[in-house]
Amino acid sequence: MKINDNCVGCGQCTSFCKQEAIEVKGKAKITAACVECGICSFYCPVKAIEVPM
Amino acid sequence: MKTIVIGAGLGGLLSAARLSQAGYQVEVFERLPLTGGRFTNINFRGFQLSTGALHMLPHGPAGPLAQFLKEVKADVIIVRADRPTIRLPLKKHHPDYRHGFKDIAFSEFTKPLSHKDRLKIALLVVSTRKNRPTGSSLQTWIRTQFKDEWLVKFADSFCGWSLSLKSDKVRVEEIFEIIESMYRFGGPGVPIGGCKAVIDALEAVIFANGGRIHTRAEVSQILVENGRATGVVVGNETYRADLVISNLGHAATACLCSEALKEKIYADYIRMLKTLQPSAGIKICLAADEPLIGYSGVLLTPYAKRVNGINEVTHVDPKLAPPGKHLTMSHQYVAPENVKSLENEIDSGLNDLKEIFPGRKYEVLLIQSYHDNWPVNRAASGTDPGNETPISNLYVVGDGAKGKGGIEVEGVALGVAAAMKKIIG
Repeated sequence: MKINDNCVGCGQCTSFCKQEAIEVKGKAKITAACVECGICSFYCPVKAIEVPM
Repeated sequence: MKTIVIGAGLGGLLSAARLSQAGYQVEVFERLPLTGGRFTNINFRGFQLSTGALHMLPHGPAGPLAQFLKEVKADVIIVRADRPTIRLPLKKHHPDYRHGFKDIAFSEFTKPLSHKDRLKIALLVVSTRKNRPTGSSLQTWIRTQFKDEWLVKFADSFCGWSLSLKSDKVRVEEIFEIIESMYRFGGPGVPIGGCKAVIDALEAVIFANGGRIHTRAEVSQILVENGRATGVVVGNETYRADLVISNLGHAATACLCSEALKEKIYADYIRMLKTLQPSAGIKICLAADEPLIGYSGVLLTPYAKRVNGINEVTHVDPKLAPPGKHLTMSHQYVAPENVKSLENEIDSGLNDLKEIFPGRKYEVLLIQSYHDNWPVNRAASGTDPGNETPISNLYVVGDGAKGKGGIEVEGVALGVAAAMKKIIG
């Protein structure tokens, strides 16, 4: 997962992350707990989460 | 009449409910998997946090949004919150809350002033209802009337909480329209079930009237023929319509029909779009075993460095938190020049909360910031350019096209009501 510059830090992604792998403070940060399921990216309102292919 | 609504935020769903009720065939397209935009709940460790709004309707059960919901027969219970209060330092010369504080009722906001200034306010309350001040910012107007900086502090805290703006960025006309609304409709209320209860009720109305809502369906283009909106493109499909309502704000809507808007006759509109400024803010969500505020009214904090106000909605609806817990949310305005240093702004907000709730136990659940493409308001209050676009049959609703004097979602409801009047009559 990569967070791009679109991120505003609204925290919507973290509430949908089952792994509790996103920390948010002004911007989202993916932690080591991420399993790259990509679910968070669907919920991002500003297309800030890029899922590796 | 076939109608397409782009975006299932509050403005889009209010429009869809009203139009479907009036017999229009309505189809809503939402890019995200969830509806409600910045006005719905997100479950976070058992707390009903929100995607944006603070589970409050600025004018409660009598305000424009509540009235609109009643008119479309959306079933939501809205409970009036306790009266707002203002936190002052214990002694007038204290610059902050570090040496203690006292709370006064919102209606007693003149208390820190001299007798002379209080008398002047009493007279202004009467005279300004007939002759509204115009032509300046709220801050400039206050400073022409009073020397006491308390009123500017208080205005900044109120404007920060309700509009996510500083008083120097709010037109005095807008604030007097808001004051009039406060007389007419009263103060805030909390929808039982939070923001999502409003969204669920509107969806129920839309479905009952035969409307449809598609999620994960991104509109990539608005079709325009001879200056008229004729439909949208979603994925590889074209959907024709007689009417298109966009909940995306004017700028993002224009991007969906940028080719059509290249014509010279639209140059003024494009120029106007460039002047629009979204407002930015930060919400800090706290969890506590013991209430931090103790009542459901807004607590304004004019002497905090960043935090403008705080609410504790679990006094109205305990189900917004796990059993025995409270949900407390602060809001702070972020100046445009500080958007690039959000972490510092957040740290200042967190420090404020320590001073506002000294020695109290709470956990910071989530810190949510809003700016640019996901802001507090797409058009800063008082600068909304109306619901019409230069493309016929294409209207904009939502927080980029609020009605005058409407705080946040009340403004959204006023804007939608105005648009519906133009469309349905």
